[in-house]
Amino acid sequence: MNVRSIILGFVLGLPAVGLLVFGPRGRPDVPPDRTVIRYWEKWTGVEGAAMQRIVDRFNATVGAEHGLWVDYQALGDVDRRMLIATAGGDPPDVAGLPDRFVPPYADQGALHPLDDLATEFGLDLAAFKPIWLDICRFDGTLYALPSTPYTIALYYNRQLFRDAGLDPDRPPRTPAELNEYARRLTRMTANNPQDPNDARIVQLGFTVSPAMLGWWHWVWPYFFDGPLWDGRHFTLDAPGTHAALAWIRELRAALGNERVLQFEGTAGAIESAQNPFLSGRLAMVFQGPWLANWARVYAPDLDYGVARFPSVDPERPHVFASMDVLVIPAGARRPREAMIFLAYLLRQDVMEELCQAHGKVSPYRTPRPEFLAGHPNPHIRLFDELAASPYAFGYPKMPTWAEAWAELLYLLETLLRDARDPAEAVRATQAKVDGVVDHYERMADRRRQQESPRPPGASHGESP
Amino acid sequence: MRSGPQSLLTGLLWTAPWWLGFLLLLAGPMALSLYISFCDYPLLQPPVFVGGANYAQLAGDPVFHKAIANTIVYAALAIPIGTAFAVLLAVLLNQRVRGQALFRACVFVPTIVPLVAAGVIWMWLLNPEYGLLNTGLRAAGMTNPPLWLESPRWAMASLILVSLWFLGSPIMIYLAGLQEIPEELYEAATLDGASAGRRFWHVTLPGLSPVILFNVVVGIIAAWQVFALPYVMWRTRPGPDRATYFYTMYLFDNAFNYLKMGYASAMAWVQLLIILGLTALVFVVSRRAVHYRGA
Repeated sequence: MNVRSIILGFVLGLPAVGLLVFGPRGRPDVPPDRTVIRYWEKWTGVEGAAMQRIVDRFNATVGAEHGLWVDYQALGDVDRRMLIATAGGDPPDVAGLPDRFVPPYADQGALHPLDDLATEFGLDLAAFKPIWLDICRFDGTLYALPSTPYTIALYYNRQLFRDAGLDPDRPPRTPAELNEYARRLTRMTANNPQDPNDARIVQLGFTVSPAMLGWWHWVWPYFFDGPLWDGRHFTLDAPGTHAALAWIRELRAALGNERVLQFEGTAGAIESAQNPFLSGRLAMVFQGPWLANWARVYAPDLDYGVARFPSVDPERPHVFASMDVLVIPAGARRPREAMIFLAYLLRQDVMEELCQAHGKVSPYRTPRPEFLAGHPNPHIRLFDELAASPYAFGYPKMPTWAEAWAELLYLLETLLRDARDPAEAVRATQAKVDGVVDHYERMADRRRQQESPRPPGASHGESP
Repeated sequence: MRSGPQSLLTGLLWTAPWWLGFLLLLAGPMALSLYISFCDYPLLQPPVFVGGANYAQLAGDPVFHKAIANTIVYAALAIPIGTAFAVLLAVLLNQRVRGQALFRACVFVPTIVPLVAAGVIWMWLLNPEYGLLNTGLRAAGMTNPPLWLESPRWAMASLILVSLWFLGSPIMIYLAGLQEIPEELYEAATLDGASAGRRFWHVTLPGLSPVILFNVVVGIIAAWQVFALPYVMWRTRPGPDRATYFYTMYLFDNAFNYLKMGYASAMAWVQLLIILGLTALVFVVSRRAVHYRGA
């Protein structure tokens, strides 16, 4: 190596080394002598700002007392990033996940069990409504803590009810009644009244389409007493599912499937003025308590009501309940320090401040009066009561739920397009997911045998 | 020029950034993924060796078949249509007319629009009710214009149409290729009485053939990796009747949604083999059709 090469190496290498050693560093605002707790969340915008306010307050008070500093990072796809970081051995100390990730991640060993920590830090778990705590458990172990929960109800446009001759104080109580209401609330127009094919829907009563506000394409069998998971088996091919699909197809056939598809294609972004419910083009919608926040911004004059979503037997009022959860990933470096932050966050006043800002319900059995009084959703009491229903259900606790979810989406999408015979489609989906569950069980057994030999057949997942 | 161990060492040191990067970031992960493709590996637990089970499962997986069929259809249509369109546009843009630079810029500008933004724009252009396309079709007298994105019949056609929006880069490469065709060939053809069509067929296309081959190979690789545009346009859903669910999307779902890294790795290796096979096939088939100057 000659002198010229060495000089050139220095000229090129020195700035790079200088940048590494003296270059910019993250977190310039962390006070000295504080231990940093890394907290990954999904929230940005208004929701992120609400959490940041709480984090700032923690850092200024309890954090300062304990020498802790929470570094709040809002990330897209936080679930995947957390999993990859955990696999790589460098997970955050706290992560906020959608609740559906608790069973698969817990089953994979990606989550730190929290029962002992919760006891040690004096968390009063009995103060939470049972449904929220149940969602946080998998195989009897607590793997998550409640964050911002929600139930889903039927929003309906009272003015459109009046226009259609329906009583705005008497929302539908059964699925059959909902279809009848939807038919009456649907309006069509035609450029050429002589041409029957020319009629287009300008106002739709109701739709289950995932293209239009539907994040929960898989829930419909539950309202017909048809749960999808019995703790060991996927139970799609059951009377509840067939009844739900018949109910869906009946309404679409009555309105003209092509016309409904055309109307569904017009849906804009849900959090915008193009939201068809907010623009008065969709009369009834299956949505959560946060819709009131959007209504206030995009349709302040909208006259709407909220009711429990109809169930086939009104004596068994099924309610979909879900939430965001807080977890400590397995292998987190500071689980105890993280728990100090989580204990602060789960103080009722703090958690309800967050839930209020997000337009969600409180996870507590008895919300504080100021929470209910100051909530942006005037119907929050109803959403809160729904969470106490003994028929409330969450995501099926299947470790393989992601694949079942995709298959159920495919099932609904094809049925909405009349692309397959419903019974055959249900059978095919059942067989596909059975195969997925079976494969998962076999692999889990094999892993268990490799780790500590014991008889195969131990169950995975748990009862719904 | 020196030779011997010292110069070898110097060469290795200076090329270290490349070969270290190659070994650590490409060859190493590729070798690992080949091993994982023979395992059940859910990311957080140790891989369990399952032999060829993942590959055998691919053979019987209807979603895999659907994704592969969609990708083949997309590649078989988008590449020839895109190539023909790009060559014709390049020839037009090569004409010496007023505003030539402006026309070239207009064709290239869509390429610099981010893919996600372009996807959203096209979602609105193809909106069945408010979209520009259907508004035009209705104005032209069509009572029920297609549900471009919501119909299994039209979803693929829509995506191929949108793919034409991104032809700016190949068109620029064709334009550069056109500059390489000797002017005297056109002069000779004109003197021999060749029409414009014949000059295009017998001079332009053979002269451009190496560039066409390059763009077709790049197009095959891109078509087998199509992901972002359908992911945006169908809002992460697999499209109506999985009509726009492509190979890479299914691979991604297996890896990061279903946590089946072994299965996804097997898919990645099958994908690599398919792309290699198709590229080799194109080279063999095109051997007689591609004309290299001086060859």
